[in-house]
Amino acid sequence: MDLDKLRETAAEVAAREDVKYLIGWKKGSYGYRVAPGFVEEAEGAAGLIFSPLCTANLATYLTLVEKLPLPRGQEPDKRKVALMVKGCDSRAVAQLLVEKGIHRDEVVVIGCPCPGMVDPDLLGEKYPETEEPAEVKWSDDGFIIVRDGEETAVPRDELLAEKCRLCRYPNPVISDIMLGDPVDTWDPAEDEGVSEVEDKDVDGRWAYWQEQFSNCIRCYSCRNVCPLCYCQDCILDRLNPTWVNRSVNFSENTAFNIARAFHLAGRCIECGECERVCPANIPLGKLNRKLAREVRDKYGFEPGLDPEAEPFQASFKPDDPEDFIL
Amino acid sequence: MSANYEPNIVAFLCNWCSYAGADLAGTSRVQYPSNVQIIRVMCTGRVNPLYVVNALQQGADGVLVSGCHPGDCHYMEGNYFARRRLGMLKDLLEFVGVDSRRFHMSWVSASEGHKWKEVVEKTVEDAREAGPFEGFRRRQIDW
Repeated sequence: MDLDKLRETAAEVAAREDVKYLIGWKKGSYGYRVAPGFVEEAEGAAGLIFSPLCTANLATYLTLVEKLPLPRGQEPDKRKVALMVKGCDSRAVAQLLVEKGIHRDEVVVIGCPCPGMVDPDLLGEKYPETEEPAEVKWSDDGFIIVRDGEETAVPRDELLAEKCRLCRYPNPVISDIMLGDPVDTWDPAEDEGVSEVEDKDVDGRWAYWQEQFSNCIRCYSCRNVCPLCYCQDCILDRLNPTWVNRSVNFSENTAFNIARAFHLAGRCIECGECERVCPANIPLGKLNRKLAREVRDKYGFEPGLDPEAEPFQASFKPDDPEDFIL
Repeated sequence: MSANYEPNIVAFLCNWCSYAGADLAGTSRVQYPSNVQIIRVMCTGRVNPLYVVNALQQGADGVLVSGCHPGDCHYMEGNYFARRRLGMLKDLLEFVGVDSRRFHMSWVSASEGHKWKEVVEKTVEDAREAGPFEGFRRRQIDW
């Protein structure tokens, strides 16, 4: 992608009268780090980037923003928020529109067709994090790592993130402004992570997930980073009724993870953020992708494609499958 | 598992069909296993899937949700929503490793006392086969 064009467009959008600020990616403080950049003035757009390290889903900032009650007589700021999205992020925006979490008039969506991101963990293993500035670029058939003044070409399969291997929508599904030409879609890989767990027997699955969930420290990062976990009144914060106790043990961790995954059934757009931020490396994506697969296969529904669709769990079809009913 | 193990079943029954069906089974003197603890709800559509998780945490070995047949809901469409949600929950529970025999859903109308008996027998039988569910039980803290 042409960075000059990106910055030029971003500067134009940020300078617009009806735009409050623009959210994009900028270089982080060291090494491979990439941070979200909030651009309020056109000059700030010069620092924006789009590289294979821009894994973060910025759509989460649309609902994360704190809305304080206004002093009497003060008008709310009705200007729009401009947002740079990859394919998966655009699905989060579409799903937020479906759920009326945001209104179409409140956002300017700048679409960035995405040839696939690198997995930060895999990258760090092979080419360790440095304190010097380093970056990763796309080449025709892979990535180029620029580090200590040297360029190393790496084949695509070696570093491609799991969510990108499974990705079916690398091009933004909704956008107001599209940067560059759409990329060629690739055949999504077979989801081996989910199938592997599915193939175990019941006790094996229970043992597998108990091992994973026992690592959970209940930091709720997965909830906070998720663009679609934005309830003002989250069940995890409620004490009356206490849906899930706060104590950290097998039972409560399992209940929490079931609740989290279930609340995203038919809503998760598989951006993989929960898994990326998890400090305990729990494969949360497997739970989400399993449910997404069931929703797709059994109900023929895919979230985040059509902003006019009915929310999956708040709608039904008379001929929904009922083979599990006695 | 001890020889005289009896499973605990929690059943969420809709007020208009299944609860009346269970009542009919009672008044018709149909004999069915006494392992079910019935919780009456106004509609299966108001059964939060977390109720099922919570019941299992609190010591249930099996959970049953029963409501009106599709099209017969007192509130027109509550059971359709329940079917979709609880179907998803069943898939998720299975994936996490909860035996699929521990969670059942059924349609029992107010006139189906005998079907209620069969449903309960099947549920209890399945839960008995699956055995006590200790792994998921909430830790009891006695202060």
